[in-house]
Amino acid sequence: MGTDLLLPVVVLFAVLVAGVYLVQVFDGIVASALSGIPARDHWLAPLRRGAWLWLQQDITTEHPDALNWRLAPMVYFTLAALGMAVIPWAGQVVAADLSTGIVLWGSVEALATVVIFLHGWSANAVFPLLGAYRYVALGLSYILISMFVLIGVALPAESLKITYVVLSQQELWNVVRQPLGLPLFLIVGLGIAFWGPLNFADSADLAGGTAAEVSGPHRLLWTVARSAMLVAFSAVAAATFLGGWLGPWLPGLVWMVLKMLLVLAALLLLGRVLARPAPERFLTFAWVVLLPLAFLDLVWAGLEAL
Amino acid sequence: MTVADAVFYILAVIAIVSGWRVFRTDSMVRASFLLLLSFIAVGAIMLLLGAEYLGIALFFMMAVEMMVMALFMVMFMMNPAGLNPMNMVHQPRVAIGAGVAVFLVLAAVALFAQFPRNSAPSALDPVRSLGRELLGDSMLIFESAGVALLATMIGVVVLSGAGGRFGASDVGSRPPGLTPDAAPAGPPEQEEAASGGGHHGH
Repeated sequence: MGTDLLLPVVVLFAVLVAGVYLVQVFDGIVASALSGIPARDHWLAPLRRGAWLWLQQDITTEHPDALNWRLAPMVYFTLAALGMAVIPWAGQVVAADLSTGIVLWGSVEALATVVIFLHGWSANAVFPLLGAYRYVALGLSYILISMFVLIGVALPAESLKITYVVLSQQELWNVVRQPLGLPLFLIVGLGIAFWGPLNFADSADLAGGTAAEVSGPHRLLWTVARSAMLVAFSAVAAATFLGGWLGPWLPGLVWMVLKMLLVLAALLLLGRVLARPAPERFLTFAWVVLLPLAFLDLVWAGLEAL
Repeated sequence: MTVADAVFYILAVIAIVSGWRVFRTDSMVRASFLLLLSFIAVGAIMLLLGAEYLGIALFFMMAVEMMVMALFMVMFMMNPAGLNPMNMVHQPRVAIGAGVAVFLVLAAVALFAQFPRNSAPSALDPVRSLGRELLGDSMLIFESAGVALLATMIGVVVLSGAGGRFGASDVGSRPPGLTPDAAPAGPPEQEEAASGGGHHGH
């Protein structure tokens, strides 16, 4: 152990902290580029807003389930970090090279549903509760689509270990080999971090949904946790579809981080340009169109692997 | 005591205490997620035992299962949100008797059974061997259970689909009366709904 474990853990936390900051910076740049409204300072604005939230009063509701309400943002952040622990940053740089890394990521997605539900439920208020139920209704379809797509990438690797999934892409990246996979996975990513058009849990029509009643440091932590989930998701996508650390000239770690940032930028751009569907229509779309497409992706991957 | 022993004892305490709290809490949602916590601790113990697939599979299966269970309980028990205090124990005497009996049987098995001492080879790949078992000798049982579960799921979807028990669920429907030929149960129909469902005023 010792030094073998030190480097991946340091990389993991550096990527997590820098990634959360970059999510806010990128999102600001994308927003002002698309709207044409120049912002004051993209690089300082997230820090300023974070510091402001940190100093705000932390209000509470009448009889919340205080334990779950306080814990939910922390557990959501922890789940993001846990999911990143199985991601290889380079050949040997991986915090926990589980032989079932892909299943662990599936568990992170399933437990995230529970945490988002608890965040809305425990506030003991109407709009957070509606957001919580809405997320649960949609969350199941995200988990199923994600699982089919990830089983697809495990087939050519003949392993559930993410290191082997990366190594199986030496000749051809999965983004080319299984063309349906990455687009489906990106939609799932927006859904699980409830970002942009798929922000159904904390949406504006519910006055902020599960976060309608949170303020101050609690809101700051919730925002950080959601951004962290987006970062973790980008890392999984980069490792499973874009060949992870594989690439010429540069060191593997640099390739992996670059690919992760590329996916992150793509997610943030999609989050700003896609139109927002009504939740019930999206639920039908997810089950009737996206899930069969995920099946098709799996059949494609199976035939290709034969 | 090694680190693994210490981790095992901590996880065991979490599993038992949260399992006990399931029956002492007063909310269906809390009871479901305390049970989830208990299962997560058991899953982590399975990871300690080297069952890398089954341990992690327990995490996501129980997460989805408890979530769905909490949701269904809240939907079927007339307790919006599950936040109202509610007794979580039914037939406590029978339950205590059954609990004590099962505990004694399992404890007797743990104490008196002759467990085999053949340790697994170090090169054993648990995921691969599990897959060979499920799609080899045990395939018939596994596939039968799979098809039965799939049929159940389709049945649930049909029952909870748009054509619900009391008529189409997406156009507004009313439950039948409490006695034969009685007026429909539930609140009286509102004028707004009758005049086209417009949402006026505040």
